[in-house]
Amino acid sequence: MLKKSKMLALASVAFAAVLGTANAAEPIKIGVLTPLSGTYTVIGQQVKWGLELASKEINASGGVLGRQIELVYEDSEANPSVAAQKAEKLFQLEKVDFLTGTVSSGATLAVGQVAERNDRLMATTVSFSSAITGSKCSPNVFRVNAHAGMQAAALAAWLKAEKSEAKVYFLGPDYEMGRNTVAVFKDAAVSNGFDDGGEVFAPLGNKDYSNFFGQIRAAGPDVIYTSVAGNDSVRLFTQMQEYGVSKGVQIVGSAGTVTPANIGAMGNAAEGFVTGVGYSPLIDSPDNKAFVTAFKGISGGTDPDLYGADSYGLLFLYKAAAEKTKSIETDMLRKSLEGAEWNTPQGVKKMRAGDHQAEMPMYAVRIQDGAFTIDSKVPGDAAIGGDACERF
Amino acid sequence: MADIDFMFTRVRDSEKRSLRSLRLIAATFTLCAIIFAFVAFALDDTFYLRLASEALILAGMAISVDLLLGICGLLSLGQALFFGLGAYMSTMMLIHTTENFWLVLISVLLATIPVSLLFGWIAIRSRGVYFALITFGYAQVISRVIYNTRSLGASDGIVGVPVISVPLPFYDLSLNNPIGFFLFMLALVLLIVLALWWILDTPFGRVFSAMRVNEDRLPFLGYNVRGYMLFMYVLAAVIASVFGALYPMLRGFVSPELMFFEMSGNALIMVILGGVGTVIGPVLGAIILVTLKSVIGSFTEHHLIVIGGIFIVLVLFFPKGMVGYLRLHLEKFLTRSKKAERS
Amino acid sequence: MESVLQYIQFVLASQMLNGLAIGAAVIMMALGLTIIFGLLDVINMAHGEFYAVGGFILMVMLGLGFDFWVCIALVPVLMLPVGYLIERTLIQPIFHKGDRHILTLLLTFGISIILQDLLKIIFGPNPLRPDNPLPGGSEIFGIFLPNYRLFLIAAGAVIVGAVWGLVYKTSLGAMIRAAAFDKDMAGSLGVPVKRIYAGTFAFGIALAGLSGVLLAPIYTVFPTMGHDFILIAFTVVIVGGLGSITGAVLAGILLTQVQAISSLYISPVWSEPLIFAIMVLVLVLKPQGLFGKFGNG
Repeated sequence: MLKKSKMLALASVAFAAVLGTANAAEPIKIGVLTPLSGTYTVIGQQVKWGLELASKEINASGGVLGRQIELVYEDSEANPSVAAQKAEKLFQLEKVDFLTGTVSSGATLAVGQVAERNDRLMATTVSFSSAITGSKCSPNVFRVNAHAGMQAAALAAWLKAEKSEAKVYFLGPDYEMGRNTVAVFKDAAVSNGFDDGGEVFAPLGNKDYSNFFGQIRAAGPDVIYTSVAGNDSVRLFTQMQEYGVSKGVQIVGSAGTVTPANIGAMGNAAEGFVTGVGYSPLIDSPDNKAFVTAFKGISGGTDPDLYGADSYGLLFLYKAAAEKTKSIETDMLRKSLEGAEWNTPQGVKKMRAGDHQAEMPMYAVRIQDGAFTIDSKVPGDAAIGGDACERF
Repeated sequence: MADIDFMFTRVRDSEKRSLRSLRLIAATFTLCAIIFAFVAFALDDTFYLRLASEALILAGMAISVDLLLGICGLLSLGQALFFGLGAYMSTMMLIHTTENFWLVLISVLLATIPVSLLFGWIAIRSRGVYFALITFGYAQVISRVIYNTRSLGASDGIVGVPVISVPLPFYDLSLNNPIGFFLFMLALVLLIVLALWWILDTPFGRVFSAMRVNEDRLPFLGYNVRGYMLFMYVLAAVIASVFGALYPMLRGFVSPELMFFEMSGNALIMVILGGVGTVIGPVLGAIILVTLKSVIGSFTEHHLIVIGGIFIVLVLFFPKGMVGYLRLHLEKFLTRSKKAERS
Repeated sequence: MESVLQYIQFVLASQMLNGLAIGAAVIMMALGLTIIFGLLDVINMAHGEFYAVGGFILMVMLGLGFDFWVCIALVPVLMLPVGYLIERTLIQPIFHKGDRHILTLLLTFGISIILQDLLKIIFGPNPLRPDNPLPGGSEIFGIFLPNYRLFLIAAGAVIVGAVWGLVYKTSLGAMIRAAAFDKDMAGSLGVPVKRIYAGTFAFGIALAGLSGVLLAPIYTVFPTMGHDFILIAFTVVIVGGLGSITGAVLAGILLTQVQAISSLYISPVWSEPLIFAIMVLVLVLKPQGLFGKFGNG
């Protein structure tokens, strides 16, 4: 952060240069509404780190339109009711100019509606659900992370290259994200010629998966696809290892299934797991290497995962869009965001105007010796899928 | 003969005083609420008015819990079930069927009666902790079912509830109007509180006080205890679901979290905080808890510890709640002035 | 015929044996709960959180270099004073009140909220897990079961036996049963009732902590892990009968078998409602559970 005196000097210069912004010295407030307590705290933590690092870097190089970025945090508790209320607080009391940080799709949808009613824009950096840029799209909501369809495309492409045919069994947690992710991958798998070996959905937070191993074994799959996450992943993987279900079977899954947050507890049970994801800390580019180092500095040693990386990238999108149109006023910013291209540690992302979904290269990542190694890559336009948004 | 008359009057007097002190508290609360509303309006505020409206909606659920706990001695750990059902029904109706406010409320009310009759009939066969566990289970199971039902939005919930207006006799109140919504909610809550107090003061209502004192004797006096409890269960369910129906009108969406144990637990905390059995206590408790959560949340993400700590302190040292203690002191004050009058 | 037998052997029996392993876990949790409820008349809403505390203490001990097998004995012992303290300072003061059922339920509810957040603050939200101390599996009548699960079944049996023996065959147990049956009478006969109460609560908590240790390798350790067992543990206690050890064991086996077998035929989503329906049924038809109150077996 620059010293106050320097900041003031910079602000007055910027004021002279920038048209129509009467309060150039005032910071741009960005609301971060993310789970700081409850089950999704782990994800909220990565989001927080990513945003903090980005704002630190952007502010150090002059801010956006000469204004410093100020992050205002509120705990969404991963509960849409709480999120909606806190979103109102951020928009109406704190008068934030932009909002981000929501994790669960339910919260993103509810908050998106609040954003519409307050004539502000928001972006999600985590929510996977296709509906957010599909059937329930909103002109005020943008998504910078990959959705379930994109992950599935990358994974299916990898699987096709590995095995020309196989029987796939599907196991997921029984809630919208879990079912949606499985359905999307099943589509991609079947259209690539793989067999549907059956599926089972366990309750979210299920502690013992051994009840299902009998039917999984009976199906005799070559591949098991799972969309569990967090603690459920640890339990599923370690129990599969315990029972020998994973022997000789290729385990694949969604991007959130194995992350730096839960891989520690899994030990070697996650070895060989492959997923389609928009980010890996091992992406071999100077941008990413610098990012990972800086991130570890701010996180106390934890690697960034997809949530941290996507959140980091968001602020650079905001900066690029705001500076192109020289304004952060809602309608102008929206137009500027649509079609924007910006640099991220993962490469160049493009914001599709039709549905506000970011297009980005997708990777097939494999867990090898506890690290997220990259196996293959799929270009953004191949992965992004169709535009299902009809509202605008 | 005169002695009995005298005792009768004494009991009647103390009851009157008790009710009077409650009414005093309610009147003070209303005054403060109105002042708050106009100050907020003058300051061009939207957030606090809407937050207060949400607090009043939740107060309805808290009153519902109090009806069972304070009036019947039944602890319900799943009142959020009815709140959520009302919210979902209201959402579906507003999006697909009608935008008529009264039609939605009446439909929700009518729909809740058979459902709560069935649930209550099963649950009332048990008491105490078993009743609590059954109600807990009801909410758990049904919220799970809705969580997994695609046509009800599943775990994402349903967004896109339109903003409607309430057709009042002289005026069409748009629910987008923050102060309008708040004052309307205030009126609604007060109406319900006064109506409940009135019911409890009738011979019908007094049976409940008798139940609290000595339940076993009542059947000998010819009263069907289960019937009375069932009545209260249905009434509580209806109040919860009607207020639940108001939630999507305020926030524009509904999600399964409205039925989770966290909601029921919050309602319970509001009741204990405000004062069990007072009916107005839970309203105060609701305002306090919502304010606390909003304020604490800005300072620390460990709000759970603070709330849990407050709760434990309440249970250990102030089980009668705010209004409970306030009422005691007020009654003493009123007695003293009465005594002064007489002498 | 041949395929029916094969079905029974490879599908049904395998599922049932597996369910038995899960049952052992559930019984361990329900045991502490039923003792606390049966004797103290206290509904311990925080039982799941003490299970979590046990798991976390285990991870700390392992980090300090203790061996897993040592921790099985060490962790419950460490939890005894915690339980004792809580009972003496928080529960006993409200115990004499008329609506103590509700008050203790609310109190323990408050404790559970605090414990959850405390655990998260101290240990962070990420899951932790000790290595499986008994990797690998064995074949029993052609059915494969991991070794650790077999150990759990055995451990469960030993624990149940030990607790039963303690309660029914020792003088301490006699004092506990006397205090449960008639507090005042027992007191006037020289039973140190207050200490018995606190001690029994501590014992129930220690059992929860023990479950936390034993289940950590397969269920992992994280701040909200208590939620895993709430509904099923309470259901087992109610169906089996408050305070009945035999009841807890039989109900535990019964319910986990129902879950295991039903998951073969119906969607897992219905497993919880099924358990709940059984609980409601028992409460409506036979509210004191299958085996009645404490002291009756």
